[in-house]
Amino acid sequence: MSAIEVVRPPRSAFARYRRSLWLLTVRDLRVRYSTSALGYIWSILDPLVMAGIYWFVFTQVFQRGVGNEPYIVFLLSALLPWMWFNGAVSDSTRAYIREAKLIRSTKIPRTIWVVRLALSKGIEFIASLPVLAAFAIFAGATLHWEAVYFLLAVVLQAALTVGVGLIVAPLVIFFRDLERATKLALRFLFYASPIIYGVTDLPQSLHLLASFNPLVGILSMYRAAFFPEQLDWLSIGIGAAVTTVILIVGILVFTRTERAVLKEI
Amino acid sequence: MADPVIRVHDAGIRFRRNRRSRRNFKDLFASRKRRARANEFWALRGVTFDVQQGEAIGVVGRNGQGKSTLLKLVAEVILPDEGSVSVHGGVAPLIEITGGFVDDLTVRENVYLTAGLHGMSKAEITDRFDEIIEFAEIGDFLDTPYKHLSSGMKVRIAFSVISRLEEPIMLVDEVLAVGDKNFREKCYRRIEELLAGGRTLFFVSHSEKDLRRFCTRGLYLDKGALVLDGSIGDVLDRYNTDYPG
Repeated sequence: MSAIEVVRPPRSAFARYRRSLWLLTVRDLRVRYSTSALGYIWSILDPLVMAGIYWFVFTQVFQRGVGNEPYIVFLLSALLPWMWFNGAVSDSTRAYIREAKLIRSTKIPRTIWVVRLALSKGIEFIASLPVLAAFAIFAGATLHWEAVYFLLAVVLQAALTVGVGLIVAPLVIFFRDLERATKLALRFLFYASPIIYGVTDLPQSLHLLASFNPLVGILSMYRAAFFPEQLDWLSIGIGAAVTTVILIVGILVFTRTERAVLKEI
Repeated sequence: MADPVIRVHDAGIRFRRNRRSRRNFKDLFASRKRRARANEFWALRGVTFDVQQGEAIGVVGRNGQGKSTLLKLVAEVILPDEGSVSVHGGVAPLIEITGGFVDDLTVRENVYLTAGLHGMSKAEITDRFDEIIEFAEIGDFLDTPYKHLSSGMKVRIAFSVISRLEEPIMLVDEVLAVGDKNFREKCYRRIEELLAGGRTLFFVSHSEKDLRRFCTRGLYLDKGALVLDGSIGDVLDRYNTDYPG
């Protein structure tokens, strides 16, 4: 029988946080791959089908006046990051509800329930990048040095996704309507962000207003890898400021509501 | 005297009375004053006690008097609205023990996941893995998805994992009401072993026999207040006087 003096290497809170985060992320990936035959294919099939539809509509049906050539690369370079944001935010509406049993029985830092969603969807995003690369090679797009902004874009997008998740996840517990409102807002945001069109296609009068949507700046950085003229520092600057505000508000909302959320689930 | 491992000071927590009536979207824009206090009640209030390492505490009270709430506060899965609860050292919570288990993963994967989430390292789990499986008596089902286990097996493996966490504090809710008689006896022996090893026990039960078996000290909760904190014998006597039969 082991006695009470079990010497356990002292672990920092951060190390424990990271480990729990990792375990939960691996768990989600395992569940996905053990229950669906297509596994990884699903995470790229969704953007591929969407890209296929938009490509068909905007290059075959309508005479397209927006975007750059090759359009499929133009489309995918913003659509894939969008899938990350969209997936993580819409999942965050169920962040607590889905894990209620675990939250009620295990003491894990509660922000994990949101952060892990941003992380697992982010991993899926990274995993879908070869698709973009394949299309870029196939369609003959040139990679420019502006591809280095990719890293900054990932950091900003991660902050934005976590920030929005921290606001949405707890509030959904009190206002169930928010679940549907979020879905609606995301659909609006899809068309309000330069995904099927480019930031340069926006009318000048809307440019400043659009910059307050942090996704405009973030997507412009992703796109700059293939289309340097899409890089738009005005929207990146304003977007970074808005992202910071959203993250701070998210942390505030999350900590303020933590008590009430734990009672409610 | 050493510092207490659990220190609950003037802790209180309130809940809304009608959990079913959800607030709607309009409330989002209403002022804070709208949050009427009228439909809230204190599940626990003004509860103060300290627990030293190695103590075995039984929580006594009728249904709905705050026993499980107190346990959850000590497990830190809910937070007090007033006062404070501080727990030094890890906690092995036998509350909703099957909560962390995932239906679609195998027993093996689930053991690593649950023990890991409770803070065990991979090497530690590997060391204890055989012990855990042997205790749960489900050696043949290691690679079976968790959802295909019988409900008895589910509880057995869950108890087995949580009770091997080697945490200094153990919280036991009435989880052991399930499972067959043999296994329950096995669980009880396991708890006794852990107690002998110097663990601190926090036990909620309606069974006087079990309470007397494990506990030395009792906490008697009534109407959300800590009415009596004394030896388990005194506490049970008082409880039986208050609620005979």
